[in-house]
Amino acid sequence: MSAYEWLNERLDLDRLNKKFMRKAFPVHHSFFLGEITLFAFITLVLTGLFLTFNFEPSARIIKVAGRELPAAYASVLYIDSLPFGKVIRSVHHWSAHIMVAAAFLHLLRILLSGAYKKPREINWFLGLALLGVVVFTAFTGYSLPYDAFSVTATQIGYGIGASIPYIGEWIAQLIFGGEFPTLHSLPRLYSLHVLWLPLTLMALIGLHMLIMIKQKHTQPRYAKAVAPGKILGVPMMPMQVSVMTLLFLLYLGVLFILGGSIIAHPIEAYGPPSTSTPAVKPDWYFLWIYGILQIIPNTWVIPLPGGAEINPEFIGGVLVPGILGLVAVILPFVDNRKTKMRYVELPSRHPMRTSVTVGILVFFLVATLAGWKQELGLSNATLWTMLISFPLLAWWVTYVIMRAIWGRGGYEDLEA
Amino acid sequence: MSEKTTRRAVIRASLGAGLGLAGLSALFVAGGLKPKKEVTPESEPPKKGDLFVVAEGPNKGKVVTVDLLPLGGPFVHAWPMDPKTKVVKNGERNNLAMLIRFNPDDYDEETRRYTDQGVAAFSAICTHLGCTVSEWLADKKAFMCPCHKGIYDPRHGAQVIGGPPPRPLPMLPVKVEGGKVVADGGFLSPVGPVGTLGVKGGWV
Repeated sequence: MSAYEWLNERLDLDRLNKKFMRKAFPVHHSFFLGEITLFAFITLVLTGLFLTFNFEPSARIIKVAGRELPAAYASVLYIDSLPFGKVIRSVHHWSAHIMVAAAFLHLLRILLSGAYKKPREINWFLGLALLGVVVFTAFTGYSLPYDAFSVTATQIGYGIGASIPYIGEWIAQLIFGGEFPTLHSLPRLYSLHVLWLPLTLMALIGLHMLIMIKQKHTQPRYAKAVAPGKILGVPMMPMQVSVMTLLFLLYLGVLFILGGSIIAHPIEAYGPPSTSTPAVKPDWYFLWIYGILQIIPNTWVIPLPGGAEINPEFIGGVLVPGILGLVAVILPFVDNRKTKMRYVELPSRHPMRTSVTVGILVFFLVATLAGWKQELGLSNATLWTMLISFPLLAWWVTYVIMRAIWGRGGYEDLEA
Repeated sequence: MSEKTTRRAVIRASLGAGLGLAGLSALFVAGGLKPKKEVTPESEPPKKGDLFVVAEGPNKGKVVTVDLLPLGGPFVHAWPMDPKTKVVKNGERNNLAMLIRFNPDDYDEETRRYTDQGVAAFSAICTHLGCTVSEWLADKKAFMCPCHKGIYDPRHGAQVIGGPPPRPLPMLPVKVEGGKVVADGGFLSPVGPVGTLGVKGGWV
């Protein structure tokens, strides 16, 4: 009796196989973006486990080889000294970057193909929540090495959180264990980074995928011609699982080449925190916010009752990203359909949505450019002009070109 | 017991009461999340009579005297120190000061009141987002915070002359006694980014 038969008699594996393992996965290269996000997360959990075994979440000053260093900083030096320690820490770092990037591209794919419409609105909201939690998790990881760079970057995050009128300081002190940096900050940020936020991510990812399985994937357009009304795709076992395993191994391979050749966040170069502040720039996915913070003049202050105020940090760091998030949340309520969506929409058939998306992307790019204001020697006036005109121009040009190429009207006929 | 009291009603009522009470008592536990500030001698704010010690560099740990401060800048980062106990108050980041020396005539009248023999002291915590102001612009004779390029003019009460900070760096009045720089009081306004309630809010 084979092991399969032995288990089958007890667990009815045949039924499981028939019901779940034969689930059809539609095939399209853009559908792998969500999977890559998942692979990045798995890699982060695995490398993170290794890091937790050796990391000491404490800012207390200890003596190590004659130097006075924060314990956390010293423990990261220890990690770096382990065989493959530096590589694993780098893979953790780069994988976080890739997770943010892949999640964002995955969101763009959903947006441009209209997959947020009925019945998949819930998964759209879950996806947005996931992106927010992913970025926040990445941020809580900033502080952990406790070098001059990481402390300064976290400091700025604290300041932005504390800038929320009335409640900001309370929220920020709850998260940072007081006014950052205190000795109580690292345990709290560490617990959030390695326990609470990953658990939240796991729960949200699980729900995201369960709902996807329940609702079925949107089908690529060719499925309509090949097998109208049917679900077209490769079965989970063995084909999809093989492809996914290969992709995951490929991902790991690429990440280890990257982590092995480019050591992330060289903490010895940054040094322990001191009174000389390094010129920090945040990671690329925060650069657009950093850019906006650089060009908002300090005169933009709106007083509120009770001595509170709406200040530039709140506008740039909370309000602008908040408004963009809100727009994404209300999108399925504004742009939806009566019947359940089965097939992805073509971006070319939705010139308004596609061109507005292009405009928003250009906004991100120009705001990111503003993050190099000093280096580029650009004035606030120039950057403000660019920040407003370039996205509008990009939107309008894209729209006109799309209408010219794909003609006027008649788009609705192509919808299914 | 009335006829209407069913098993279901009893179970529902006890479940509801139990969950409600458990939820309420969880609030007490959650109260422990409120951060607490422990004031140690190292984290006490600067006060009148405190000396200063150099915070960083080759002179680290030396008591700041007038001749340690080059005329016309750059500034020196320093921690206040209790003169009796010799405790250096570096346990609280907001205690970090910048000491600088100009000719007394270089200051405007308002600023000069808090200086002595041309020595002035300012908070080193940027009022924008709380980074340590750590750069000296020799051409402008000004402090710069490297995080978002906020620039402060020490000869005019650390007024903001560039970048995003909302208000000047708080001054700390000083006296010079026997060549040593001595605090003549605490910081004149709240240090760092001011809380969103006008005065410092939050738990601690």
